[in-house]
Amino acid sequence: MTAVLEVSALSKHFGGITAVDGVSFDVQEGEILGIIGPNGSGKSTLFNCVLGQLTPNEGEVRVDGQTITGMRPCDINRLGVSRTFQLLQVFPQLSVRDNLILAGQEHQGSMYSRLIGAADAGLSDAAGQMIDFFRLTHLADERAGMLSYGQQKLLDAAMAFMAGPRLVLLDEPAGGVNLTMLGHLRERLQTYHAERKATFVVIEHQMEFVMALCTRVLVLAEGRLIAEGAPQDIRRDPVVIEAYLGH
Amino acid sequence: MNRLGAIIVGAAALFVLALPLFLKPYGIYLGSMWAVLSIAAMGLNLTLGYAGQVSLAQGAFVGIGAYTTALLMHAGVPYPIAFVAAGLVCFSVGWVLGYPALRVQHHYLAFVTLAFTALVFLVMRNEEWLTGGTYGLSGIPRPVLFGWSTNGAVSFYYFSLGVLIALAAGTWWMLRSPWGRAFVALRENPIRALSLGLDTRRYTLMAFAIGSSIGGLSGAVYAPLVQYIEPLSFALALSLNLLLMVIVGGSGYFFGPFVGALVAVLLPEWLRVIQSYYLLLYAVLVMVMMAFCPDGILGLLHRALKTMIFKRNPPQPALQPERTSR
Amino acid sequence: MATLIQLVVSGLATGAIYALMAVGFTLLWQTSQTINFAQGEFVMVPAFFILEAMYLGAPFWLAILIGIALSLLLLGLVFKFVIVDPMLKHGVLPLVISTIALSLFMKEMVKNFYSSQAQPFPSLAPPIDLHAFGAVISTQSLTVLAVAIGAVVALHILLHKTRLGRAMQATAQNPTLAQILGIPVRRMVLYTFLINAVLCAVASTLISPIYLAKFINGEPLGIAAFLAAIIGGFNQVRGAILGGFILGVLDNLSAAYLSSTYRGAFPLLILIAVIMWRPQGLLGRVEERTV
Repeated sequence: MTAVLEVSALSKHFGGITAVDGVSFDVQEGEILGIIGPNGSGKSTLFNCVLGQLTPNEGEVRVDGQTITGMRPCDINRLGVSRTFQLLQVFPQLSVRDNLILAGQEHQGSMYSRLIGAADAGLSDAAGQMIDFFRLTHLADERAGMLSYGQQKLLDAAMAFMAGPRLVLLDEPAGGVNLTMLGHLRERLQTYHAERKATFVVIEHQMEFVMALCTRVLVLAEGRLIAEGAPQDIRRDPVVIEAYLGH
Repeated sequence: MNRLGAIIVGAAALFVLALPLFLKPYGIYLGSMWAVLSIAAMGLNLTLGYAGQVSLAQGAFVGIGAYTTALLMHAGVPYPIAFVAAGLVCFSVGWVLGYPALRVQHHYLAFVTLAFTALVFLVMRNEEWLTGGTYGLSGIPRPVLFGWSTNGAVSFYYFSLGVLIALAAGTWWMLRSPWGRAFVALRENPIRALSLGLDTRRYTLMAFAIGSSIGGLSGAVYAPLVQYIEPLSFALALSLNLLLMVIVGGSGYFFGPFVGALVAVLLPEWLRVIQSYYLLLYAVLVMVMMAFCPDGILGLLHRALKTMIFKRNPPQPALQPERTSR
Repeated sequence: MATLIQLVVSGLATGAIYALMAVGFTLLWQTSQTINFAQGEFVMVPAFFILEAMYLGAPFWLAILIGIALSLLLLGLVFKFVIVDPMLKHGVLPLVISTIALSLFMKEMVKNFYSSQAQPFPSLAPPIDLHAFGAVISTQSLTVLAVAIGAVVALHILLHKTRLGRAMQATAQNPTLAQILGIPVRRMVLYTFLINAVLCAVASTLISPIYLAKFINGEPLGIAAFLAAIIGGFNQVRGAILGGFILGVLDNLSAAYLSSTYRGAFPLLILIAVIMWRPQGLLGRVEERTV
C-alpha cells in the first residue's frame, strides 16, 4: 500500500551549513508519527521542505505516490496536506469564525465563484462545528488577535483541520501552552484522529506529549535520522540519549 | 463598520452631496478633481493597502485611461463605451505587467512599474500621430449621458461623484466577499495564507490589475474634466502623488484614499503662498508619518477612538464548559 | 568601426558610473534589507555639495573632499540612524515608502534652495581628445573609467582581501550567524551605508560633468541603478558591476543606432524583459523565504 507520505534522501544546505542530510522515512495512513531531536537538528527545515516553503537540494517528497517536491505551499495544501506553525499562527484582525472560513474557502470553487458567491463561501456552519469541536464557541466572533496564546494554538489546529486534510503536519503544537490547555489539545487531536482517520506528523520537544500522542517516533540529530521506533523504545535508546546529552 | 463610523461617513456624504450649494465654480471644479483623484487613489489602495505591493505606475494608468477615452471620443465612440474600454485596457496591461513581476519575492513590482511609467511617458511624448506628442489632445468634450449634459461645473461634479460612488460600491462589495478575507490574510500573514491553500500570487495579481483598471477609469473621468491632456500630467510625479495620497490617508483603510485625495487637493490651495514648497512639505509629512503613524490619518483616528471607546470584556473561561451529553 | 569603438568606450565609462551606483544599492539591500529608492537622488545631490563648496571659495579638489565628507555624514550616518533604523522596525514596506518620500524631498530641496536650472560641473580630466584606431576617445571617458574602475577595485580588495570586508560579507549572507561569531553586525551595516555614500559621491563627481548638475537627474540615474542591480542579479555585488557596464554600453549603442527620441526606452525594455524571463538576473541566485 502506498504510504501517505514518503520522503526519500532529502537534503537541504544553506551555504556551508547542511541542515538536513539525506533523511528518508515513510508515514502510513492512520499513523501519528513524532519527530524529535535536539535544537538545530533540522526538524523545522525538514517540515518546510516537505511543505514547499523551501526547495530541497536533493531528494524527493511524495504524497499518496504523487511527487510534490518543489510545488508551492498553496498547491500542496490543496492536495490535502496542511500544517500548523510554531510561531506564525492566526490572522489577528479577522474573527475566529473568519479565520476558519478563510481556511476552508480556498479549497472549493474558483477565484470567480469566490468573487460572486456568498460572503461566507457557505462555510459558516462548518466553521461553527469546528469552533464547537475545539470548545471556542464563546469566542467565535472575537478577533483572533485577542485570544490567549493557548487559544490561538487551538485555533491554529482548527484552521489546519478545516478543509478535512488527509495529512496534517504539526510544528511544536505544545510549545508554550499551559498544562490544562495541553491536555485539552492532545485530547482533541486524538479525537479528531480517531473520528476522521487522519494521519499526523508531529514535531515536538515535550516528551510527555509525544509519548502520550504518537504511535511511532523518529529522532533527528544534526540533520540526520539516528533512530526510529516505538516511543518507549526510543526513550531508552542510548544513541538518542547521547544525542540529547552530548549537546 | 460600527455606528460611529457610519455616522461620520453619513455626515461626510451629505456634505459632499451639498457641496455645490456653497462653493463657487472653481471650488466645484476642485470637488470634481477630488472625485477623480479619489478614484485613482482607491485603485492604488487595493494594490498597496490590501495586497501590500508598491505600484509606481498608477499615474501612467490614469494617463492610459485618459488618452484611450479622449481618442475614442474624438473617433465618435459614445462615452460609456470609451469609459469601459479605458478600464479594460488598463486591466489587461496591469495583468501582463504584474504577472512576471509578482513571481519574484522582492519589491520587483515597484521597479517594473517605475520603468513602465517612464516608458509610457516616452510613448506619449513621441508618438505624435497618436497622442499629439507634447502638444497633447485638446477639445475633449464633456459627455452627454441619456440626454443629460455634463458640461456645467455642477453637472460634471455630480457625474464624477456618481462614478466615484459606483466604483466605491463595487470595491466595497468585492472586499465583503471571500476575496476581501483573502486580501486581509494576504496582508497580515502571507506565509500562513499560502499554507491554507490561498494562492497569494493570484490574489496579488488580481488586486494589481483591478487597481490599475480603476486608475484607468479615473483617467476616463479626468479627460473630460480638464478637456485637454498632455504627457507631463501623467509622468512619475502623478504616480508619486497618488502613492503619497494613499499613505497619508491611511493605506488599507477603505476611506483612506478619500482623505488622502482631500489633502492632496487642499494642500496646494492652502499653501498657495509658498506654492513651490508644497511638495517638499508633503514629502516631509510622509516621512514623519511613516516614522510615527505608518497607518496614516485614518490609522491615527482609529487608534485614538479605540483608546477612547475601550470596552473591557468580562473574563472569559479559557474553554467552553464540557456539555454533559457528550 | 571607429564610431563603434567610441560608443563602446563612452558606454563603458557611463556603465562604470552605473556600476558604482548599483553596487552601493545592492550592498544596502544585502546587508540590511534596505531598498533605497532615493539612490538616484543620492547621486544627484553630492554634486551640489561640491558646487556650493566651490561657490564659497574652495578649490575643486577640496570641494570634492568636502562633498564626500558631507555625503558620508548625511547620506550615510543621518540616513541610517534617522530614517532607516526607525523604519525597519515597521517592516520593509514603510521603509520603501520613506525612501520614495526622501527622494522627492531631496529633489525639492535642491530645486528650491539651490536652483532649478542645470548647472555646469567641472570635469576631472582636461578636455583633450586622444586618437586611437581612427577613433576619437575623450580623456573624459578614460578618466571616468579609470576612477570608477579604481573605486570598484578598491571595493573588491576591501570586501575580499581584508578581515573587515570578510566580516561585512558574512553579515550580508547570514546576520544571525555573524552575530554569533562575534562580528559587530550593527557596525558592519553602518559601514555599508558609509560605503554607499562614498560610491554615490564619486559617481556624482564623475557623471555631473557629462549630464550637468540638475535636480531632476535623480530619476534617470535611479532607474539606471535599479536596472543595473536587477540585470546583474539583485543580490550579487559582482552582478551589479556587470549590469552597470552592460547597461552603459547598450544604452549608448541604442541611442546611436536606434531612435534617439526613445533613448531611455531601451534599458526599460531590458528591465521588463529580465524580470519576465530571468528575474534573478544574470548572476543572481533564486532566493527563498523561510518560516
